Amino acid sequence: MRQNVLRPGLLVDINDLPLNRVEDLPEGGLRIGALARMSDVAQAAGVVQRFPVISQALLLGASAQLRNMASMGGNLCQRVRCSYFRDATSPCNKRDPGSGCAALDGFNRGHAILGTSDKCIATHPSDVAVALVAMDAVVHTRGPADDRAIPIEEFFLLPGDTPEREHPLEHGELIVAIEVPATPTARLSIYLKFRDRESYEFALVSVAAAVRIQDGAIADVRLALGGVGTKPWRARRAEASLVGKLAGEASFAEAAGQELAAAKPRPLNAFKVELAQRAIIRALMTLTNGDTR
Amino acid sequence: MIGKPLRRVEDLPLLLGTGRFAADISLPGQAHLRVVRSPVPHGMLRGVDGRKALSMPGVIGVWSAADLDLGPIGFRMVAFPGMLPYRQPVLAAERVRYVGEPVAIVLADDPYRAEDAADLVELDIESLPPVLDQLQEPAQFDDQNDTEALLHEDGYGDVGAAFAAAPHVVELTVTVGRHTGVPLECRGALADYRPGAGTLDFYGAAKVPHQNRLLLAGLLGLPPQLVVLREAHVGGGFGVRGEVYPEDVLVCWASRLLGRPVKWIEDRNEHLLAANHSRDQVHRIRAAVLADGYITAIDDEFWLDQGAYVRTHAAAVPTLTASMLPGPYQIPAYRVRGHVRLTNKTPAGTYRAPGRYEGTFARERLIDAVASSLGKPAMEIRLSNFISPDQMPYARPMSALGTDLEYDSGDYALLVGKAQARFGLAELEHGLAARRALGEAVGMGCAFFVEKSGLGPYEAVRISVDQSGHIDIITGAGSMGQGFETVITQICAQELGVRPETIRVLHGQTDQIEHAMGAFASRLTVMAGSATLIAAQALREKALAAAARMLEASPRDLELSDGAVRVAGDPDTGISLAQISEALRPDQAARWGLEPSLTADGWHTTDHMCYPYGLHIAVVRVDAGTGQVIAERLLVAYDVGRAVNPMLVEGQIVGGAAQGLGGALLEEFRYDDAGHPQCTTFMDYLLPTRAEMPPVDVLITEDAPSPRNPLGVKGAGEGGTTAMGAAIAAAIDAALGVPLGVKELPVHPEAALRLAKAARRESTSEPGGA
Repeated sequence: MRQNVLRPGLLVDINDLPLNRVEDLPEGGLRIGALARMSDVAQAAGVVQRFPVISQALLLGASAQLRNMASMGGNLCQRVRCSYFRDATSPCNKRDPGSGCAALDGFNRGHAILGTSDKCIATHPSDVAVALVAMDAVVHTRGPADDRAIPIEEFFLLPGDTPEREHPLEHGELIVAIEVPATPTARLSIYLKFRDRESYEFALVSVAAAVRIQDGAIADVRLALGGVGTKPWRARRAEASLVGKLAGEASFAEAAGQELAAAKPRPLNAFKVELAQRAIIRALMTLTNGDTR
Repeated sequence: MIGKPLRRVEDLPLLLGTGRFAADISLPGQAHLRVVRSPVPHGMLRGVDGRKALSMPGVIGVWSAADLDLGPIGFRMVAFPGMLPYRQPVLAAERVRYVGEPVAIVLADDPYRAEDAADLVELDIESLPPVLDQLQEPAQFDDQNDTEALLHEDGYGDVGAAFAAAPHVVELTVTVGRHTGVPLECRGALADYRPGAGTLDFYGAAKVPHQNRLLLAGLLGLPPQLVVLREAHVGGGFGVRGEVYPEDVLVCWASRLLGRPVKWIEDRNEHLLAANHSRDQVHRIRAAVLADGYITAIDDEFWLDQGAYVRTHAAAVPTLTASMLPGPYQIPAYRVRGHVRLTNKTPAGTYRAPGRYEGTFARERLIDAVASSLGKPAMEIRLSNFISPDQMPYARPMSALGTDLEYDSGDYALLVGKAQARFGLAELEHGLAARRALGEAVGMGCAFFVEKSGLGPYEAVRISVDQSGHIDIITGAGSMGQGFETVITQICAQELGVRPETIRVLHGQTDQIEHAMGAFASRLTVMAGSATLIAAQALREKALAAAARMLEASPRDLELSDGAVRVAGDPDTGISLAQISEALRPDQAARWGLEPSLTADGWHTTDHMCYPYGLHIAVVRVDAGTGQVIAERLLVAYDVGRAVNPMLVEGQIVGGAAQGLGGALLEEFRYDDAGHPQCTTFMDYLLPTRAEMPPVDVLITEDAPSPRNPLGVKGAGEGGTTAMGAAIAAAIDAALGVPLGVKELPVHPEAALRLAKAARRESTSEPGGA
């Protein structure tokens, strides 16, 4: 709004709604209220102990001041990181459908290489959404008609031909909570973020990773990428490649390569293809202590 | 008192939250101004339609260039007549030349309404292709002029003969990106024109209030004495803040038009679009070198991206670049050609160590290249080319900021030796080599530089003691938060033997003192500090003369200490400065044949600058996987002649080093191919934070006091920044084992990664390479 990208006719302050709790669910999951502040969620004992990846992603996002103010629901709904989207004088299909995309041939060093379309290549900016996608979170909403539970991967839409539509919320529908199901895999999890500066800066590439090793082999693995996708990117191909394999640099590299094979880089962001692969390898090596047994 | 780390005397109001910055100042009935800015980089302005904006509640009016009767903004510094056509108009009239250029103003009774209304002003602009590269051949600027605003040529000696005779010629092209000083406080201005009285008060001045008073009074056609500029607290300057910009003129013009106060406060987005950019130079530099490494000539050609207009600094940056480039080395022959070229970007001006950050990067990279081509350590090349102490004062037949370039004093090799010993550079390098052997990409880089400081021609100080013994020191020079008041207090307290708490420093108010230059060019401790010493000495003489009457003694038998005058050897006779001030009322002073009041003026004038010098050392680690460059340590050795307050000198150096690191690794104003700025928020313009900034070890030496002022001081404001880019570049080279790898600042991770890959290819293709 400050940059005239949005000019809403009516603003409703929802901050007084009782949606700011972070609850531990009986079977070990989490229920995070839509208005819970990023800093409160990052510090909640259940998050820190059972879902370190979520806590880490939160603490590596935004600035301390913003984390104290920003809500979890707002974080999921934040608009994209694209200077053309935010420059009201440039063409942008997301802001002004059909007007074109200045980023395609513009300064697109920070833009996406996965999930892009010829209408939009803007990167989804959230860190915590990447961790939540890795953890199979579910977004609970309440609308005029009914309540819905939307798996988080379906909550973020690919730009396709309708980049102006970023999530499936209907008119009058609000996020009320985010539920994260229990999983033993989450205890060994990490959020790794690479960026131009160590604080208050978006990811060039980030990785949310969790792994469970049984008898030397990978029994379960979760991988999601930030900074490279038009939505928080669940790396399903890499996961599929890894399950059952021995943990080690070779299998990690192969999986990373398979995931990034689908990348559509542009000259200025081509470095992300390699950076993302290295980031995946480093995250998994860190989690497994480089231990291949 | 001088030489002691006295705590800053100016901090109490800031700590109590009673500081008053530009935005804190308001006047009854003030209107708020918002600038309508060009959204396109280049185009013909066909029309400005303010009708929709005028229909908004609270809007007082909309004005564009057609309503103004003002000329373009003039030059404050080194100017050449050929640059006059490139001055910036207060509002764009026929053509817009950069995104952010002021095109119209909206005044409203509330800043939010003014901003909303400004969005509704419709601009009819016919876009033209932008010029975005200073290396492209000059294009058309207007009917008479092309985009090369200045070709600055300078030099001395027979460069051609030196190159013809040289056994080695080393050449390289290097680039320093576009970045600038980003003060935490954005700009702001409040103008108060009083109809009837015909006076104009301007709040929010900084840096050079007296100089700006002349510029503003000239533009508005007012007598300078009726225009009063008032400096409030200033949240950082760095060369950027405090110049006369279009907004400063517009608030004055609007206040006179409306007959009421008009306030403008800049937001960060505006600041990054509208305040001076800086740096952005490409140098093609070559050296003629003898077999032993002695450089007989340097030939440099550079291209400076001036942005859309030539602002108040005029030719200051290119001429400083040219004259200071040879730095600490003898260089018997030198030729420089600097192209100042206009593009469709935000106009550029000075930023901490202007021209020296760029020139030092070019020269020290050249030294590294010479060392690499001769297979010698770079420090050996430096030592064998240094100007030696017995050559001081060393005149280079050129001029810098209108003064003859003559280094006052210096022992460069001594500083290198002291730094090597103090920082344990040999052991440090040994440790880094061991880490490299284990596979880490770590390295150390050095760069030596000469700064300039204490630019004249004058600064004035008036000291007065009131009947309670409280002392006011009045100077027109400005304070941007650098500790100016503390330094001036220390100098006065020492000379008069009084406690610092009894002293107040008043600065930057044009109605308090007739003449002043201001706060730039690392000049205040030299110029205002010396003037303070001279004024304090005069005040002491006057106090002694009055006390002699009161004690019926000879002034020769009196001494001033602890704020009181005594007969030497008789501690019981003391009369305080308060009593002397009381006694110097006009009737009694007249009887004594003395001027009334315990006050004295002091001037320091000079035709020459001072030349401090230093060595920057950076230790960096490169993440071979991501290309991230992590600065592990920064070391700065700096000779300031004499440190009035070593703590403040160190603070200046550490802050300056952070800005030098920012320009080397992070900060850059990027434009896309259409000329649209991509770095208009702090999300995209990356300042270093605490996380990127390693500890800085500072060695301050006082081996070469300046003979050009009574304190022996040299300025300390810029020496933390000057060679940081060159040192970090050399450190990255060392970490990756790629000689002369870094030729461009800032070094983004992609560039470091490319270098790392090149290094790996090199080492694997080399037979026997490990």
